[in-house]
Amino acid sequence: MTALALQTESRPRFAIKTPENLSARIQWLRDYYFQGVQRAWNNEATAWTTGTPWDFQYNELNFYIVPETYAFLQTFRSSFQQVARPVALHPDFWKWSLPERRAWFMREVMVCYLPREVLPGDLLAGARFNVQTSACLTRRETRSRDRLVYGKNGTRAALVWFHNHGYGNAGPTAGHLIPDYGRIVREGWKAVHAELESHYDGLSKRERRGPRAAQLRAMLTAAGMPRDLARAYSRECARLAESESDPVRREELRQMAANLLWVPWEPARSFWEAVQALWLTHMLVMSDENYPGPGVSFGRLDQFLGPLWERSLAEGMPREFGKEILKCLWVHANTAYDSMIRTGGNQGITAGYGQLLTVSGLGPDRQDRTNDLTYALLEVVDEMSPILEPKPNVRLHRGTPEKLLDRVVDMIASSQGAPFLLNFDERSMAGMMLQARRSGVEHLIHADNVFDYAPVGCLENTMAGNDRSGTVDANLNLLKAVELALTGGFDLHPFTDPLTGVPDPPRRDGPDTGDPAGFATWEQFWAAYGEQTRSIIRRIVDLYERPEAIRARFAPTPYLSCLVGGCAGRGLDVTQGGAELSYVTIEAVTYATTVDSLLAVKYLVYDQKVCTLAELVQALRDNWVGHEVLQARALHRAPKYGRDDDAADALAAQVMELWTEETWKHKTFSTGRQYRPGMLSWNYWVADSFLLAASPDGRPKGKFLSNALCPSNGADINGPTANANSVGKVLGGKAPDGKGDWLDYLNRLPNGGSHTMSFNPSLLRDPEHRQKFKAFLRGYVENGGSALQVNMINAEMLRDAQKHPENYRHLLVRVTGYNAYFTTIGRELQDEIIARESHQTC
Amino acid sequence: MPDSLTGRILHLQRLSTEDGPGIRTTVFFKGCPLHCAWCHNPESISSLLQVQWHADRCLECLTCLNVCPRGCLTMTRAGMEIDRVRCSRCGKCAEACPANALEMLGRQVTVDELLPELLKDRAYYLASGGGVTLSGGEPLLQMDFVEALLRGLKEAGIHTALDTCGQAQAANLVRLLPYVDLVLYDVKLADAGAHQKYTGLPNQKILANLLVLRDALRDGGLGVELWVRTPLIPGATAGAANLAAIGRFLAEHLDGCLARWELCAFNNLARDKYSRLDQDWAYAGQALMTSAELAACEQAARAHFPDPQIVLASGPTRPPED
Repeated sequence: MTALALQTESRPRFAIKTPENLSARIQWLRDYYFQGVQRAWNNEATAWTTGTPWDFQYNELNFYIVPETYAFLQTFRSSFQQVARPVALHPDFWKWSLPERRAWFMREVMVCYLPREVLPGDLLAGARFNVQTSACLTRRETRSRDRLVYGKNGTRAALVWFHNHGYGNAGPTAGHLIPDYGRIVREGWKAVHAELESHYDGLSKRERRGPRAAQLRAMLTAAGMPRDLARAYSRECARLAESESDPVRREELRQMAANLLWVPWEPARSFWEAVQALWLTHMLVMSDENYPGPGVSFGRLDQFLGPLWERSLAEGMPREFGKEILKCLWVHANTAYDSMIRTGGNQGITAGYGQLLTVSGLGPDRQDRTNDLTYALLEVVDEMSPILEPKPNVRLHRGTPEKLLDRVVDMIASSQGAPFLLNFDERSMAGMMLQARRSGVEHLIHADNVFDYAPVGCLENTMAGNDRSGTVDANLNLLKAVELALTGGFDLHPFTDPLTGVPDPPRRDGPDTGDPAGFATWEQFWAAYGEQTRSIIRRIVDLYERPEAIRARFAPTPYLSCLVGGCAGRGLDVTQGGAELSYVTIEAVTYATTVDSLLAVKYLVYDQKVCTLAELVQALRDNWVGHEVLQARALHRAPKYGRDDDAADALAAQVMELWTEETWKHKTFSTGRQYRPGMLSWNYWVADSFLLAASPDGRPKGKFLSNALCPSNGADINGPTANANSVGKVLGGKAPDGKGDWLDYLNRLPNGGSHTMSFNPSLLRDPEHRQKFKAFLRGYVENGGSALQVNMINAEMLRDAQKHPENYRHLLVRVTGYNAYFTTIGRELQDEIIARESHQTC
Repeated sequence: MPDSLTGRILHLQRLSTEDGPGIRTTVFFKGCPLHCAWCHNPESISSLLQVQWHADRCLECLTCLNVCPRGCLTMTRAGMEIDRVRCSRCGKCAEACPANALEMLGRQVTVDELLPELLKDRAYYLASGGGVTLSGGEPLLQMDFVEALLRGLKEAGIHTALDTCGQAQAANLVRLLPYVDLVLYDVKLADAGAHQKYTGLPNQKILANLLVLRDALRDGGLGVELWVRTPLIPGATAGAANLAAIGRFLAEHLDGCLARWELCAFNNLARDKYSRLDQDWAYAGQALMTSAELAACEQAARAHFPDPQIVLASGPTRPPED
């Protein structure tokens, strides 16, 4: 039964990592979880309404960054509306401000309407949190909002146009931040509540009639919700204890009841209380935003829970029991996927959700902060995996202890790839320090606190507890600027409506950068590309502004705002830019495809002169059909990013500089949030490849674009060190004078960039080679990027590589004496290597 | 300062994990005095440039046929035929090939061009105790270039390894030692006749040079480490008698001077290389060793060797027969 859902999905032929060292309690909870729809209990989303005919729940703005949902936006809205259950409203409900209505409604649903259950053996309470709650809008508010969203000039139409034409997508989505969970554990909700009261008490009579006071009142209501819900769960635990026949379990339930009477309102006194406080506080974030696990991070879990871990161990908590509490947290986190448990073949488990945590990394005085809880958390990850939530990030740096690195590499070796993402402190912190300088927040991000950064979403670096950086809210295909530069502002192919089959009339959407046939020099082409790049950045900024303003006006999240520093003091919701650190990140997609395309234009047209620009444009219009020789030159002879080729990487760095500099120039108008640059591609690099025309790097329409910061598939023919060196260089490398933004490090992407590398498992075959791999990671600290995902390739993938060698040109296999590229050796030998690898991994 | 000296190399292998300690970049030199029947790098034997054709990359655009000044290329149903006798190795076909299906093996580089390439992975060398390995082919065939290169690497603080077959002038070997941290020295066969048969030359000079090297290391106080490497070729070198004989030789002459004796199992991955060079390979059908055979080799080598823990066998094995 174990991991049934996961295994059916990928059908691995070889033994994959299995869970280990699970107590009967955890084994049962884990197995029960994977029974999916067959469970008697689940956390399926429920919908709740004010009962008005115009009410709705589903906030489509959350899903503007998920193009797969565009066709269903209306369906979702109608469906939730139809199944929504009414909540009896307070008599004054409609007299209140919108944030007060939202806060009250949310509390009412969570405390008074949702059933409360505790699963057998579970050590943590807090089970149902997937909700779709009323927008709580008046008729007039609904009309105003819908007018902005729907219709020919609405945000939805603008977004769909932008997506269909291959620019990317943008929308203010949920989560993607680190709420101040550390404060709740240390001080309890009562401290938050007290702070809100003192802000409110400080308001003048006149101010108390204004929006700031309304926001504070809403947050005060929200700040009481976790206390009230905890007390209700406490009663449930006490009730269960009464009827429990097993004395051990009875005692556990009594302790849980006691824990819940204390936390999360009061500061946690034990590790158990701390995890209970953390979970209840966290699950309500997901409720408040009506989104199951949108890249919300627990933050540096080993740091803020570390003191209580030590205290409880000293007071006699068995270490394994502490790990059991954490494993219960793991199970709870996975029930986020229950949201739509009845959809799809995989019981609602999708890649669209994510909760994460960070361990290890630097602290004050540039000292490593690895502690016993770091190792306990890694043991939990190892013993529970394969399981999707929460997603661990391990922070590495120059001073990472050997013991931790050994553990990390052992886990990579035993699990067909890292069960976690690796983050690299020095490069990451350089980016955060740059951000502080560029946006004038050096009082909030500086040498004495920058080490407290942690990733949200997948790998997007932010500060903790006072930062919302909109890390997936604006996703821009840089490649579109190459297309527009090749045409003087037109699409290469007119967009054709898939329903009507009618193509758009030709229209100049980009600036008129001139007929490229007249570009006599590379510099002229580069200038046109630059202008088009600046133009598409302005375009995505304009596109984002409208839903951002709508969210700020109509979709407050007062509960979450209590957990984000700055909101209380300003009396602003986090959706209104209340966070002290308030940014929107433009995630550039198609970076390597763009760089390689520019390199190909330069090589083919201006350096080698094998074709004219007009001929190249024609080849792209024809999707390379009939131009195969030119395509081959573009693919195989033109330089590429990712080879540690200084000339190619210099152009790549220019591309990086150009788009990031333009990005820093912009702010949201409605909420005053500064734009900052990052590189993450989620699945856009696959899906948008069918929207973007053929590109000068030799790629036909429909072939995958490049992923985030990674070199194009197959371009990195000089191996992993060269690949990593290129990535580090384009981020800024190291300052020649040693004066970087952190030590000698530079990083143009404060958000960081996603970098994935694949290795053959035999590279980790014995202790000597594991040492070499450890050293590779230490080298990556010096030369590489801000985050790395390691894949260990199995035989299954090698077979796929035989069928589709074009996707695997970068795949290394070990040959005696050195490593060779799998696709460069003959078929029979490939078969033999597969036999050999299978032998080794069985 | 060096140097516009040029050398002829095949290619660089970065993140090399099998040619000495740590993470290394291995420079493969072109040209070798031996012609081992089992050679895994047949393209490294000739010191001349060679052209090879990759069928899986070829578009059959025939661009190459038009640029070849001597008409050496013919596209047949079986693939590209290269008239290797008339080919002047000018490289024009490879230069023109849009898909890199035609490839020149070997290129001239200067020390000044090569050094910066080798320093790019310095961070990984430092983190791993690795560095640069010169291999081949036989680096000692290009003495001046190799000396300048090694000197440059040492000046940059890089750990250097010299992988040699030992068929060279002893003075040359000794001349390089000031710039070398590790010598990887091949001893393939103990018997001179067998050595002649399988490699084209007897082994007297190789064994004598090993002793010269030993003396230089012992007396010179240079801190150079020595590893001996023996390829395990079924039917040629992998016999217990040969391994025992090499073991005895090493025990008798190199006791205390040797840091490692590596036994490298046969691999058959060179098969395609031979066919791309239009050459036959006697070992094309040779199966990999089983792990039991590999263990037996290790056992045989250790039997007469005083320091068994420095004998390490590694390499691919085939699954046991069902």
